[in-house]
Amino acid sequence: MESNHAYSKLGEALAKGDFILTGELEPEKTCDLSHLVHEAKEMAPYVIAANVTDSPLGIVTINSLAASYIVQRDAGLEAIWQMTVRDVNKLGIAGMLMGAQALGIHNILSLTGDHPNMGDMPESKPVFDLDSATLVKLVREMVDTGKINGHEIEAPPKIHVGAAANPNAEPMEAEVLKIGRKAEAGAEFIQTQVVYDLDRTIEFLTAIRKYNVPVLLGIFPMKSYGIAKGFDTFVPGVSVPKDILAKWKGIKTDLKTDKKLQKEAYDQANYEFFKPFITELRKKKLLDGIHCMAVHYPRIFPKLEEVIKSTN
Amino acid sequence: MVVITTKKPDEEVFEALENYNIKKLTLVSCATCAALCQTGGTEGAKEWKDKLEGKGYEIEAVVVSEDVCDNRVMKKDLRKVDDEVKSSDAILTLSCGLGVQSIVEVLANKYPEKPVLVTNNTEFIGMTERIGRFYKRCQACGDCLLNYTGGVCPIATCAKGLMNGPCGGMVDGKCEVGNYERDCGWILIFNRLKAIGRLDLFTKLRDARDWSDSGHQQEVIFR
Repeated sequence: MESNHAYSKLGEALAKGDFILTGELEPEKTCDLSHLVHEAKEMAPYVIAANVTDSPLGIVTINSLAASYIVQRDAGLEAIWQMTVRDVNKLGIAGMLMGAQALGIHNILSLTGDHPNMGDMPESKPVFDLDSATLVKLVREMVDTGKINGHEIEAPPKIHVGAAANPNAEPMEAEVLKIGRKAEAGAEFIQTQVVYDLDRTIEFLTAIRKYNVPVLLGIFPMKSYGIAKGFDTFVPGVSVPKDILAKWKGIKTDLKTDKKLQKEAYDQANYEFFKPFITELRKKKLLDGIHCMAVHYPRIFPKLEEVIKSTN
Repeated sequence: MVVITTKKPDEEVFEALENYNIKKLTLVSCATCAALCQTGGTEGAKEWKDKLEGKGYEIEAVVVSEDVCDNRVMKKDLRKVDDEVKSSDAILTLSCGLGVQSIVEVLANKYPEKPVLVTNNTEFIGMTERIGRFYKRCQACGDCLLNYTGGVCPIATCAKGLMNGPCGGMVDGKCEVGNYERDCGWILIFNRLKAIGRLDLFTKLRDARDWSDSGHQQEVIFR
């Protein structure tokens, strides 16, 4: 990170080298964000900021910049605005970055975005004028130089920009080299795709450590057996280990008559899986934080906080 | 190099003919690219002639030309059937989009009132594996990157045309678009650069493409 300035709580934590916990909020196909705000309020005491997703899987939802603003305004939780390069060209994105600043949004996660072809508006024109690395570069140009294409921005945006990495990617070497490009472009933090395989995660994080970008590990605590099974089946390239699925299935069957106990058992099982996982990675000094992607599962955050405290 | 075409559904072609209230036609069929794609040539022309006559249309002339897209050739070929063109309500072209527009331009002065219609959809500039198997490997973008990407084009082979791939939609070397059945363009590039010992080129951060020249009709004029 070249800049010493911090424009947000996340930026401050990164600058100080604090261990960071971020969450994730997934706006839906609605203009009413009250559910999202409610969830944001629940996680707010535990996380420093939360990602606000940008029509994941190409399924159209309310605009992520608008949702980020509402989350900050109504839940008092700092947003990490996810911006994909799928739907807007460079000119449009530059305008949105200035808009984000005006709305008080100071973190962005740069993503390519799932192809419209996969979603519910496949007839849309795929834009991809920039890619996730050149978006990082654009943000850094506007923030660090106060200019765009050499033209001065009267009041430039002050935004921290992060990028994504996928430890599950095969061939891994191509993914590692790609992270090198994102680092060169000026990424200030990395959030990874969800991981369950410790050995692979260690190998990947060790390989990208040389780029010297703080890494927040993507984890997905599973709220129920149904969610775990669905994640395993429908998320390409990520598989939930078989013993985890068996354990979660056991909780579902054994405790079906007592929902309260069942909830507690799921939470405890997550704690027991993630604690050694995170401990090991922290011991190896491969982590700078955790990015919890388990949407609609805010009650897991006290447990995660406990994990983090116990591994300090 | 072939401009790859596919046939429009017959109903769509007949609908266009009805829309223009066409009764008499001159057919112009491409004997080069469209013939290779089996959307033109002598056989395609015969097929359309039979179909049209079967529906009561009158065919004034059939021209099978090697270069429908070459204004000079079309001028010469259409001059030979000038009387027939004159008595036709429209030209129906079995070619790519270039062929249609070549004829529009060639006839613009003499027969500005005559519609020129087309039986095909133009898909892409194609590489041929064999007849019936054509692949888009070049987008004719005007700024060739192949010297730096191991001879594999990211613009044409990456579903998103990314300059810095692969993206998160790559799983085991396959692309999210099309249900992980096709190769990820950026992994093809990675493999090629690795094979030729030039992964240093893969590590290079590339700027976004410059679209500043794209706002007008493209042309190459060198004399």
